[in-house]
Amino acid sequence: MIPDLPKPVDIAVPLFVAAILAEMWIVQRRNRAAYEPRDTLTSLILGFGNTVAGAMTAGAAGAVAMWTYEYRLVTIGWTWWAWITAFVAYDLSYYWAHRAGHRIRWFWASHVIHHSSQHYNLSTALRQTWTGFIGLSFIFSMPLFFLGFHPAMIAFCAGLNLIYQFWIHTEAIDRMPRWFEWMFNTPSHHRVHHATNPRYLDANYAGVFMLWDRMFGSFTPEDDVDPIRYGLVRQLGSFNILWAATHEWVGIARDLRRAPWQAKLGYIVMPPGWSHDGSRDTSDSIKARWRDREQPRGESRSPMPEAAE
Amino acid sequence: MATLPGWVMLVVKFGGSLLAIFAIAWLVKRMGLGKGYERIRDEAHAIALAEEAEFGFGGVAADVDAAGYGAIVRNATGVMLLVRAHGNRFAARRIDAGFTARLDRNRLWLQSGERAFGSVELDFGGRASVIASRLRTVI
Ligand SMILES: [Zn+2]
Ligand SMILES: [Zn+2]
Repeated sequence: MIPDLPKPVDIAVPLFVAAILAEMWIVQRRNRAAYEPRDTLTSLILGFGNTVAGAMTAGAAGAVAMWTYEYRLVTIGWTWWAWITAFVAYDLSYYWAHRAGHRIRWFWASHVIHHSSQHYNLSTALRQTWTGFIGLSFIFSMPLFFLGFHPAMIAFCAGLNLIYQFWIHTEAIDRMPRWFEWMFNTPSHHRVHHATNPRYLDANYAGVFMLWDRMFGSFTPEDDVDPIRYGLVRQLGSFNILWAATHEWVGIARDLRRAPWQAKLGYIVMPPGWSHDGSRDTSDSIKARWRDREQPRGESRSPMPEAAE
Repeated sequence: MATLPGWVMLVVKFGGSLLAIFAIAWLVKRMGLGKGYERIRDEAHAIALAEEAEFGFGGVAADVDAAGYGAIVRNATGVMLLVRAHGNRFAARRIDAGFTARLDRNRLWLQSGERAFGSVELDFGGRASVIASRLRTVI
């Protein structure tokens, strides 16, 4: 029997609004430049667009999920331990979806919207994809349906996961207690994820549990000697809503048109910034330059993000 | 329990969200958020901003406009980077053949080839014509 589950994100919207107002109040006293009126409006409208786009593609995404579930290995059901396992398993699938979202350009084209702001406040959290369905992000949760988790259960866990990730988009909280920072994704860890400083690129993909980054070698701690700058390595320089949502898709289309045949696929599956003639920067090339510069000085205070490769 | 028809719920949900969006945006302005930042102070600041925008750019000289709104930074190989304010942050682009430039006395108008990045008008005082001729080598 499938329980009638509410949509967690719908219920959380008033909480989001209240939290943003509280952060604005704090920022007004501490650092007014943490907000920018046009940036905030863009973020909020992008969040709204995400709910509209989500409602439009929910049917198709649900159909794919149910179709996969038909071929499940076992039926896991609705027990309490199934819920806990589903939450953790979804978080693991989120980690890989998110990591792919940064390392494969097709997925990045859909995710880049979330990183398009040069600000980092609670409104930034609402910049969510408009093109998740064509971005194929759902393929990362398909193994869960195939294993036997009911799509409705995973959808509920995904909602909780997204709500969790809301509160970490703030500079108003410095560090959480040590044990918490070790176990969970926190404002500090996720600030690193949104950073454009070479040291911090391609790090901290976690949704809820920071363990995944520690396990799979993508963890980089926030270092107070290198204050974070937010956004993209090539900033948009625009508050245009449609451009924030679609610019990387436009870039892919342009590259596909211009590239020689044997290079076309590369512009889809290689990391963002990859080019067949090596004329552009990728996060890897930027990081390599940074390492070359740091190493001769004998890095003592800022060790390499070990096992990042 | 009687529930409202689906489309009414949808209108309430989306209408409510839109209302909240504009209320927050209005409040951000009303509370004076976004202020308390600085423009480009001087040449050294412009060079530092160029380095932040493009790691390893290696700026060696810069011209900063009178209002500190934008700057043109050069590196040792002669590449020029336009740094300009974007809200209360900064964004930059390499000046290349896709750019258009126009000189009007002390003011230099520059448009990038990217529509979304747009154009800037910078006041370089007496140096404007020298900067303009330097730009002509790439534009
Ligand atoms: Zn991301
Ligand atoms: Zn984020």
